[in-house]
Amino acid sequence: MAAAKHKYSILLPTYNERRNLPIITYLLEQTFSQAGLDWELIIVDDGSPDGTQTVANQLIKAYNTRGAGGERIKLKPRAGKLGLGTAYVHGLQFVTGDFVVIMDADFSHHPKFLPVMIEKQREADYDIVTGTRYAGDGGVYGWDLKRKLVSRGANLVADTVLRPGVSDLTGSFRLYKRGVLEKVIKATESKGYSFQMEMMVRAKAMGFKVAECPITFVDRLYGESKLGGEEIAEYLKGVFNLWYKV
Amino acid sequence: MTRAQQTLSIGLLLSSIYMVAFLGLAPLPEKLQTDVIPVLPFWAIVTFGAYLLAKLGYGVLTFNDVPQAHQELVKQIEQARVELKKKGVEVN
Repeated sequence: MAAAKHKYSILLPTYNERRNLPIITYLLEQTFSQAGLDWELIIVDDGSPDGTQTVANQLIKAYNTRGAGGERIKLKPRAGKLGLGTAYVHGLQFVTGDFVVIMDADFSHHPKFLPVMIEKQREADYDIVTGTRYAGDGGVYGWDLKRKLVSRGANLVADTVLRPGVSDLTGSFRLYKRGVLEKVIKATESKGYSFQMEMMVRAKAMGFKVAECPITFVDRLYGESKLGGEEIAEYLKGVFNLWYKV
Repeated sequence: MTRAQQTLSIGLLLSSIYMVAFLGLAPLPEKLQTDVIPVLPFWAIVTFGAYLLAKLGYGVLTFNDVPQAHQELVKQIEQARVELKKKGVEVN
């Protein structure tokens, strides 16, 4: 185990991330080269109309080098918005690493936590390491009282109904062993919001070892609350669905 | 065993135990039988509700705000913009 070389593949589904993509790529490159870790970035763009793919190609030109292991960035687009789950499945085909990272492209998830999560994984060969905003010195920037209330409330509902054993069930900043991710995605059925939640609940039900790592989440969506009554209803439906099925 | 099965099984078990007590089938001290048992379910629900509310309030109060993470990020974005422009990547 000690001498094995590991490679970390970042799976990044994107839709209209033209402005964020270069920054997140820059931060990833910085983080991994400073930590001396082997990595690659797989961008699964769902036919963004804003030029995301153009920028992705510029990044490829800027960062990829010839020679073994030089293809750091791969763009594997799809024709249209086909959903998060299928984006992961699509991207997984091109993964050449033994670990896969799931994260958001809008840098609410900061790559600086990746070495911390990787270290955590090594501690006891965990199958999954998930970032948590609610435990340890994890935290959030940019949420008003209402948003905090909704978030805590949602977590409380999920915690009480599902008793999942992780403090942040809806979080989507995770490090998976590649085989584990493949197995879990195969078993997952939800779409949208509940998808990340179901993956974690399923993973736990399948007996995988999960560790948590406090992260800070910087929400750049100033005032733009994506949480309407409809989203909340969807969420509750998702939780009870999981209660029933898993 | 699904969460649903687990919850319902435990629920069934607790209900059975309560029914035994409620119907007076178990020898219980009179005070317990007349004053406590009949209102136990309501008390349990109210207490549980209060517990959840307290948990919610506590969670919101102790929510960890991280303005320094935001500042750090803003600085890094600026750095990133400079570097990326040099490499021929469009940023705005």
